[in-house]
Amino acid sequence: MPNLDFVGKRKLFLYISFALIIFSLIVIFVKGFNFGVDFSGGSEIILSFDKEYTIEELREGMQIIDPNYATARIIETNPGVGSSDKYFYIITVRDSFPSLEEKEKFISGLEEVFSDSNLKVEQFNDVSGYAAREIRSYAWYAVIIALVVLLAYITIRFQFVYGVGAIIALAHDVIITLGFYSLFGIEMNLTAIAAFLTLAGYSLNDTIVIYDRIRENRSKSRGTPIEVITNKSINEVIIRSLNTSITTFIVVFMMFILGGRSIASFAFGLTIGVIIGTYSSLYIASPIIIGFVSRKRKKAKA
Amino acid sequence: MRNRRIRALFTIVIIVFAFLGIILPLSDNENDISILKFFPNINLGLDIQGGVLLEYSLDIPEGQDGGTIVDNVITVLRRRMDSAGYTEAIVSEVNSGGERRVRVEIPGISDTQRAEELIGSKGKLYFAEVLEVVESSTVPQITRNRVVTIDGEEIEMYSYVRDSNNPNVWYRVKNIFEFGDDPFQITGLDVSDTVASLNPQGAGFVVNLSFNNEGRRKFELATANLVNQRIAIILDNEAIIAPVVREKISQGRAEISGIENLQEAQNIAVLIKSGNLPVDLIKFQERTLGPTLGRDIVTTIINAGIIGLLIVMIYMIVVYKWMGIVAVIALLYNSLLLMGILSWTGAILTLPGIAGIILTFGTTVDGNIIIYERIKEELRVGRPPLTAVKFGFNKVFSTIFDANLTTILAGLVLFFFTSGSIRGFSVTLIIGVLGAMFTNLVVSRLLLESTSRFLKPEKYVKGIVVEKGGVK
Repeated sequence: MPNLDFVGKRKLFLYISFALIIFSLIVIFVKGFNFGVDFSGGSEIILSFDKEYTIEELREGMQIIDPNYATARIIETNPGVGSSDKYFYIITVRDSFPSLEEKEKFISGLEEVFSDSNLKVEQFNDVSGYAAREIRSYAWYAVIIALVVLLAYITIRFQFVYGVGAIIALAHDVIITLGFYSLFGIEMNLTAIAAFLTLAGYSLNDTIVIYDRIRENRSKSRGTPIEVITNKSINEVIIRSLNTSITTFIVVFMMFILGGRSIASFAFGLTIGVIIGTYSSLYIASPIIIGFVSRKRKKAKA
Repeated sequence: MRNRRIRALFTIVIIVFAFLGIILPLSDNENDISILKFFPNINLGLDIQGGVLLEYSLDIPEGQDGGTIVDNVITVLRRRMDSAGYTEAIVSEVNSGGERRVRVEIPGISDTQRAEELIGSKGKLYFAEVLEVVESSTVPQITRNRVVTIDGEEIEMYSYVRDSNNPNVWYRVKNIFEFGDDPFQITGLDVSDTVASLNPQGAGFVVNLSFNNEGRRKFELATANLVNQRIAIILDNEAIIAPVVREKISQGRAEISGIENLQEAQNIAVLIKSGNLPVDLIKFQERTLGPTLGRDIVTTIINAGIIGLLIVMIYMIVVYKWMGIVAVIALLYNSLLLMGILSWTGAILTLPGIAGIILTFGTTVDGNIIIYERIKEELRVGRPPLTAVKFGFNKVFSTIFDANLTTILAGLVLFFFTSGSIRGFSVTLIIGVLGAMFTNLVVSRLLLESTSRFLKPEKYVKGIVVEKGGVK
């Protein structure tokens, strides 16, 4: 069994985490997020052609239909296997198409401009601004309610301080992962929210395995300082934490690099989240409760 | 020993049950995507098989009963879908924070324009007096027109409507009846029921219309003044049919005869009956996915998942030797169990749902690792393999329980606060995690207990720093 000193160096790691969180918050505020149509409203259209065009050619073609499309976002993409003989482009326009006529006008306009390359509308996502607002608010509700439920559960099964420790570690993971989304401009959409909730479950899972050990060791050896017990517990489960993280990392990382664009924002969150989550359950979630527990002891003594 | 038999029984019964769900012909789906073709009973979401999802908010006027209106809209849309041949379409109500919306999902179609035309039009159905029949390949122009206001709605007095069966035949119609004191319109709201049947008095088929009280009065007035003239029944600016009035109809029941086949009669009946949406529909969101793109995306994701999984399996066997092989069996067991449950329950598998399944593998492996590390600890303190396995399992129960329950709780929150494809994610995640707990605590235990002689303690003990005293 390894015998590493996690607890002794906890101040250093708290500073590192603190710095990471500040950095993430700055990135988020300065750079913002790359919101997908789920959150911003608008239309996302995936087109396929038999011929390859440059982004400029597409943009020019769209401006023939309506000069307003100058601000559209156009990305070349490759959805994956079986599509190698076609060229795919994602066009995102700010506004949704409120009426069928406008949508038809846009598509038939494109068909006219790019008439010789077998244009097909492969995917069309149109989310009204109102829908986007609602999806956004529900995402928040989901996250907040999940946190409250989990805090309650950990409080019941362990103690309140463990719940607080787990939630702090969780907030830590989520904020830093959000920072990475912002930094790399990964699209924030509904699947990203799913990634965050999975990350929440995963991060807690990891934390709880260690807490469980601490609980077990504390009841076995009363009177031993909490620092010693915590350190021993972390060392006892670290192999498991690493093995689990490595295997999970392999799966989500493969999904991220091979899974194509539609799963990318989900897999990205988990790939980053697994690393951050493992780190936080070893260096943040458990060491942080030492402070709470010893403060409580001091109070009890006084 | 008895416990082991019970575990063996459960292990076998449950996997047989899952297998039956997979192989029995429970549905007539045809899944032809990647490995999903081996699981024909699993319902694939629109984001996998392609299709269109349209969701509309309703413009419900104040003081009206939202529930009835939503029910009416759903009935009308359902009929329109059926009559247009989209019998696989799902029309459902979405209730989101007190707001009622209507969602239409049509799998496997690529011509979404038509679907949207069908759904999105308020589709006002009305009766109008035919003034003239014109043959023309272009739209005839109305030269002089005037506008009349009825019930706050501005209606043009004259218009040309196309014959729904013949694009070159146009009817010049007068949209408003001007008999009696006030001008009026007869719309779908005045019709209470429409039925197609065999003509009891002669050849062909008929469509029977019944009118409500208001409609009966209006229809009597109109037919009394239009004997031997034609009245067109118009939906979305097309005349569905334009029968000749034979006599004044005062009983509130009319019969349209002279229809040649039953199919046509039924179509007419459905169109008249489903003609009126009581409110305007406002597009909330639309998601369309072409069938080929969906297939490519899913194949890519599944391939990525399988590659990741194979690497994990190799990793487990290298690190945990025989126990790693048990973990691989557990993984396969849990996958089959999950597919079986999805087949039995008819839950819809979505793209994020596939991601959920892949994550479930993580949970299964994780549970196994927690258990194996415990067993290794027991082996290190010198317990014989079988005892080590038993002690190991007993000690990890609460860990696995707590750790997985938090995932399930997160999944439940997700399930109740989202809709559509993300909900599919929470469903597979919850089923998968429950399956992983069963697999780890029952199946893995059974396998390890019965093969404990394969566990060589010396393989797990070497290179260990034996603890001296300290905390115990």
